Amino acid sequence: MAILVIAEHDNAALKSATLHVVGAAARLGSPIHVLVAGSAAQGAAQAAAQAAGVAKSIHVDAPHLAQPTAENLAAQVLAIVQDGGYTHVVAPATGYGRNVAPRIAAKLDVAQVSDVTAVVSPDTFVRPIYAGSVFATVQAKDAVKVVTVRATSFDAAAATGGAGQVESRPAVPDVGRSRVTGQEIAKSERPELASARVVVSGGRALASAENFKLLEALADRLGAAIGASRAAVDAGYVPNDYQVGQTGKIVAPDLYIAVGISGAIQHLAGMKDSKVIVAINKDPEAPIFQIADYGLVGDLFEVVPQLTAELAPR
Amino acid sequence: MSTYRAPLADMHFVMNELAGLEQVAQLPGFEEAAPDVVAAILEEAAKFATEVLDPLNRPGDVEGARRLDDGGVRTPAGFKQAYEQFCANGWNGLAKTPEFGGQGLPHLVSTAVEEMWHSSNLAFDLCPLLTQGAIEAIDLVGSPEQKQLYLPKLISGEWTGTMNLTEPQAGSDLAAVRTRAVRQPDGSYRLAGTKIFITYGEHDYTANIVHLVLARTPDAPEGVRGISLFIVPKFIVGADGSPGERNDVQCTSIENKLGIHASPTCVMTYGEKGGATGYLVGEENRGLEYMFIMMNAARFSVGLEGVGMGERAYQRSVAYARERVQGRAVGLDRASKAGAIIDHPDVRRMLMTIRAHVEGTRVVAYVTAAALDNARRHPDPAARRSHQAFADLMIPIVKGHSTEVAQEVVSLGLQVHGGMGYIEETGAAQYLRDARITTIYEGTTGIQANDLVGRKTVRDGGAAARAVIGEIEKTAAHLTGSADASLHPVGAALSEAAVALEDAVAWVLKSSASHARAVHAGAAHYLRMWGLAASGWQLGRAALAASRKLAADEGDAAFMRAKIGTARFFAATLLPQVAALGRTLMHGGETALEVPAEQL
Amino acid sequence: MKILVPVKRVIDYNVKVRVKPDGSGVDTANVKMSMNPFDEIAVEEAVRLREKGAAAEIVAVSCGAAACQETLRTALALGADRAILVESDADLQPLAVAKLLAAVVAREQPQLVILGKQAIDDDSNQVGQMLAALLDWPQATFASKVEVSGGTLVVKREVDGGLETVEMALPAVVTADLRLNEPRYATLPNIMKAKKKPLDTLKPDALGVDVTPRTVTLSVAEPPKRKGGGLVADVKELVAKLRNEAKVLS
Repeated sequence: MAILVIAEHDNAALKSATLHVVGAAARLGSPIHVLVAGSAAQGAAQAAAQAAGVAKSIHVDAPHLAQPTAENLAAQVLAIVQDGGYTHVVAPATGYGRNVAPRIAAKLDVAQVSDVTAVVSPDTFVRPIYAGSVFATVQAKDAVKVVTVRATSFDAAAATGGAGQVESRPAVPDVGRSRVTGQEIAKSERPELASARVVVSGGRALASAENFKLLEALADRLGAAIGASRAAVDAGYVPNDYQVGQTGKIVAPDLYIAVGISGAIQHLAGMKDSKVIVAINKDPEAPIFQIADYGLVGDLFEVVPQLTAELAPR
Repeated sequence: MSTYRAPLADMHFVMNELAGLEQVAQLPGFEEAAPDVVAAILEEAAKFATEVLDPLNRPGDVEGARRLDDGGVRTPAGFKQAYEQFCANGWNGLAKTPEFGGQGLPHLVSTAVEEMWHSSNLAFDLCPLLTQGAIEAIDLVGSPEQKQLYLPKLISGEWTGTMNLTEPQAGSDLAAVRTRAVRQPDGSYRLAGTKIFITYGEHDYTANIVHLVLARTPDAPEGVRGISLFIVPKFIVGADGSPGERNDVQCTSIENKLGIHASPTCVMTYGEKGGATGYLVGEENRGLEYMFIMMNAARFSVGLEGVGMGERAYQRSVAYARERVQGRAVGLDRASKAGAIIDHPDVRRMLMTIRAHVEGTRVVAYVTAAALDNARRHPDPAARRSHQAFADLMIPIVKGHSTEVAQEVVSLGLQVHGGMGYIEETGAAQYLRDARITTIYEGTTGIQANDLVGRKTVRDGGAAARAVIGEIEKTAAHLTGSADASLHPVGAALSEAAVALEDAVAWVLKSSASHARAVHAGAAHYLRMWGLAASGWQLGRAALAASRKLAADEGDAAFMRAKIGTARFFAATLLPQVAALGRTLMHGGETALEVPAEQL
Repeated sequence: MKILVPVKRVIDYNVKVRVKPDGSGVDTANVKMSMNPFDEIAVEEAVRLREKGAAAEIVAVSCGAAACQETLRTALALGADRAILVESDADLQPLAVAKLLAAVVAREQPQLVILGKQAIDDDSNQVGQMLAALLDWPQATFASKVEVSGGTLVVKREVDGGLETVEMALPAVVTADLRLNEPRYATLPNIMKAKKKPLDTLKPDALGVDVTPRTVTLSVAEPPKRKGGGLVADVKELVAKLRNEAKVLS
């Protein structure tokens, strides 16, 4: 019996979440197999085999898996699971994993446990509910456990040091009926929000899209990703994928700087596992200060440029 | 930070347990007001108040309405869109006649909904409120053609309405109105004169504004029986209902006020260019009589503004008291370190005083609304009459007392904030400024008090008053006889208040002719006695209902216990004032008049 | 085209959830309940599709206790034409709900199912995908734009880092993300009309669905409170502390 990890990758390489999922999988049992379903994805498949704790990387290559639809990816995973004797199917709780995992679970007629933040035992998991204001400990009764794990809650497996093999498997045919016809990925020199070491986030107090440039300057200094509160997204200052919170991205960087964010529970749910939280807000009563390690009461339009200047290379 | 959340739990409790929503929904024409539909309506109204109106309240206060050089008025940013949404969502027609597009819901339901508008944005709400006045006037005495022409658009909110009563020399005394109206061969009238304090007399919401104007015809008798009511549209309405030629009416300035800044208070000038075209509503010389018929509804609404403002102040001060950490709370285990000020006994006293007044005046208002519904729709004429008598007695109490205690409430709400309360940015000060008008417009507290003495107590020889006191005594007896011992002190205090009130009524009846000036000098005390006793009575009923619910293990137990606690607080701290005020009334009036005017 | 919109009754967005003293679950007694906000977006999208002429009928469906009727009435007030309650007092988990919905789909034969991407109570984010799998329909999750032309559905989806466009043949399942639209307020006349729209009740047994829970919640708890660390006076102090105390800056 084995653990199957569904890799998130861009064909050339693994996405960072995948190594965290391998880290989580190690707590469920062994051996760990990583499925890399893609097109010309040898690079990702190789990387998966080398990750610490991985016994085998299963590489499936087909044009329709280049940017797979949930339908195609689920069909592929099912084909592997059905002849493989797996106890667990584990995917990252990212847009990629969340899209496909329930489809697999339903086809297997098993429950899914979403967004796992801790593994108690191979069938018992901790997961946040109610926007992270409550944590539930859940036991899954089905023979196969389908889980998505929150990457930020588990340490990444080492990228090298594993001695896994790459095993090629044939692809199942294209399910058809749906296809990806376009992609608009915001090109950015910045690190990915979900995995950045430093995140600078802005709230409604920024007051305009233009003012987010202030944060860009600061983020450039820190090599940080930029995030935002739902209020700032709703106001149209930044795109939706900047949103940190219950219904947006969950982040847990080493340093989180919240600028002009009051700290609604839904926002806190997305960032309170950050190692160090800095809050800059002109309202001394803002709830964000109750969880910030370092609070600075002041006008962000003065403080942020000062901070950027202070961080200039010495 | 404080966001308005409609007190839905309390509203439902009051409507269902105390004001008899179920019974009201059985009155002819109100069948649609089933409790589940009403719950859905309140929920959606609450959402609108929280999400649309409340966020505009402070920006509206800061920006204010502005008069433009061309005579137009610009309302604060967001208000026009909010108004359009308000109308598109059908809120304008809630209690209006279905014949012209309204939803025909009971007054009891519109009372709860209007309280939310008052709480979340009084300055916004005044426009629909005044339109309501215009609708009622036209509905009451307008011709069939006038109803067809104006009511559908006023009810949908496509047009708004105003009430033009006051003139510089004619405030509380409308007999002094001087605006002239001269009949034209085509049956219309030409109006000329100046009206002041015209709420939303001009604005940028709608394509037309329908002014209802009190004026005198040339041959009218002097005084109150010589005033007629006219419709003067901003744009003269063609037979097809479309606005046409601009009428000779202008907003010549808007007032700089203490509060309700977003609501334009206009000086309206009629007939500067030869005469504004107006149309008689009803019959000549009966204008004031019509106004008096409508006055109950208008006064009730303003009383409800007091409740709404109080509720908003309550929510903000409770939120602040929970968050504000300052000093150690005396006598608590956790007093070793600084805690939230909500644990300080004096802050708690203030919050409870606010809560008790707000909840008390809310029940009195809702119960009165249900009486108005019954007075209008009850199948039995005798029942209609008794409900009307009750409502007539309660209206000056709802208007006079709810708005007077609202002054105390918003002031205490600010006090809870300490120094921060005095800073405008905190938001508590706005309620103080906005609420201040409510004891003034639609008849000052003095006028309400005189009404309570003259028309409502003396005129029927104290019959309606004594009937209500009898009811208060019954409630007191239920409380003292309750199996729930925590209600006994409420019963005792209420019974004492009822006795004091009975004495006061007897004294007013005996003295109104012989010591008229002394009685009227004490009228405000008499009003406050009634207000406190009525609130205490209704909170006593609330405690009985809550105690029943607890015994039956129904509903939210914590809510029910808080109801009983609030009644106990009111009985212990506020009801005793009734007896003291009785002494003030009977012995204090003369002293207000002893020092001659020239010495003041 | 007929659209089916599943809606869930959840603890209102603004309520601060409390864990029961025995840790067996969260306290739902006497707590304000509302329609799951993402489902509200789904209802709105269905209504817009009907307004554009792309749909003829909208059927709202909810699975749960009798009180879910309130949620269905809300959907009707927002514009759904009729409603179905699959009434059950059982703990309905995502897989069971997906199966119940699949059974309703079999009866109703809609061409499109639109629902929220997740419910804000259990935050599972599963039902739409599971329903699509059970029906063998294509899915478009996390939708931020939906267009229907002929038998084809074009959906812009929120993916990490941007948007993805998917095209699929109907019938299909769409799950609504935050930016799909801004739901309207129910109008007063529509709230009153909602009471008169048809609302049918079905039981899981009648649909032939076994709703036995597949997971057991052993306990729930509030996360340890994060403590604020206090204020710094200015930017210089902040940077110094980040460098020397927290050691997160080089």
